[in-house]
Amino acid sequence: MMDKKNFLFAGIAIALIIAAMAPFIASSNPDGLESAFFGIFGAKDLRGSNLDEEMASTAEEEVTAITGNEYSFASPFPDYSIEGLAKFGEAAAVIIGTLVVVGIAFGLSRVVARKS
Amino acid sequence: MHIPDAFIPLPQAAVYWIIALVFIALALRWARRELSEEKIPLVAILAAGIFAIQAVNVPIPWGTSGHMMGAALAAIVLGSPFAAVFILTLVLIVQGVLFGDGGLTVMGANIINMGVIGGFVGYYSYRGLLPVFKSPYAPAFIAGWLSLFVASLACAVEMALAGTFPLELGLLSMGLYHAIIGIIEGGITAIAIYLITTARPDIMAEREVVPA
Repeated sequence: MMDKKNFLFAGIAIALIIAAMAPFIASSNPDGLESAFFGIFGAKDLRGSNLDEEMASTAEEEVTAITGNEYSFASPFPDYSIEGLAKFGEAAAVIIGTLVVVGIAFGLSRVVARKS
Repeated sequence: MHIPDAFIPLPQAAVYWIIALVFIALALRWARRELSEEKIPLVAILAAGIFAIQAVNVPIPWGTSGHMMGAALAAIVLGSPFAAVFILTLVLIVQGVLFGDGGLTVMGANIINMGVIGGFVGYYSYRGLLPVFKSPYAPAFIAGWLSLFVASLACAVEMALAGTFPLELGLLSMGLYHAIIGIIEGGITAIAIYLITTARPDIMAEREVVPA
């Protein structure tokens, strides 16, 4: 059995390794929801793999017109990218995100958890 | 299945936020009552691992990809569906605010789908299947698969209510893609449970029903 400290470090290390590799191994295909969206709005066949880029951007305008939700927010690292840095910037972004999540998880848990 | 802002009208998005906040409050109550100091590192590891693995989109057929959600895993390991709500909410906030992954106005819907529905379906299907299989791995796989599949159908229903997708075609498309992505969810859930029980057999929730 692993001791407490090693277990924590091993767990975080595995998460960081996955984070660092993610941009290099991840597929850039649309995800399930996006794919369904493009299919329904005619930019892609349900079981086809070709995406019509022009139809895809029209679809985004169409859906905004349907829902009327025009809210948009400029996140600091849109789509896990850091401006000017290509794949390595993405790896850095996912690593930063992972560390932020660890920090918040620890901080919040410490604040709300019962004392043993 | 991170819903972007444009997919849901604001009034509906507000309703999802209100429902999500109720579950977030219950998740905080769970953390206050059940989260011992000993389990905090496990929460941090699960949150980090789930955030990282969600960045890994795996290609599936039909020009599509998908990633693990992690709610079933969090709920099974920590022994409560509210653990999934707690962890997935953290992950979704960081994804939305820092990376624009998933909208902010619609984050309530994403928390409901991935945290609440993923966590509850994952946890209770695992608990229900455990006595049938007498080993944690097959139940973990099925619970992972089912959690993602049901969450995707809920997402399709929300899209239909929003007027974004027609109901039938939405259910068909979301169900088709996520039935495949669910294999990834189930597989990684089972593997992660194997790794955690091997490294720390003492720390898993309900260890009496989880042979190490």
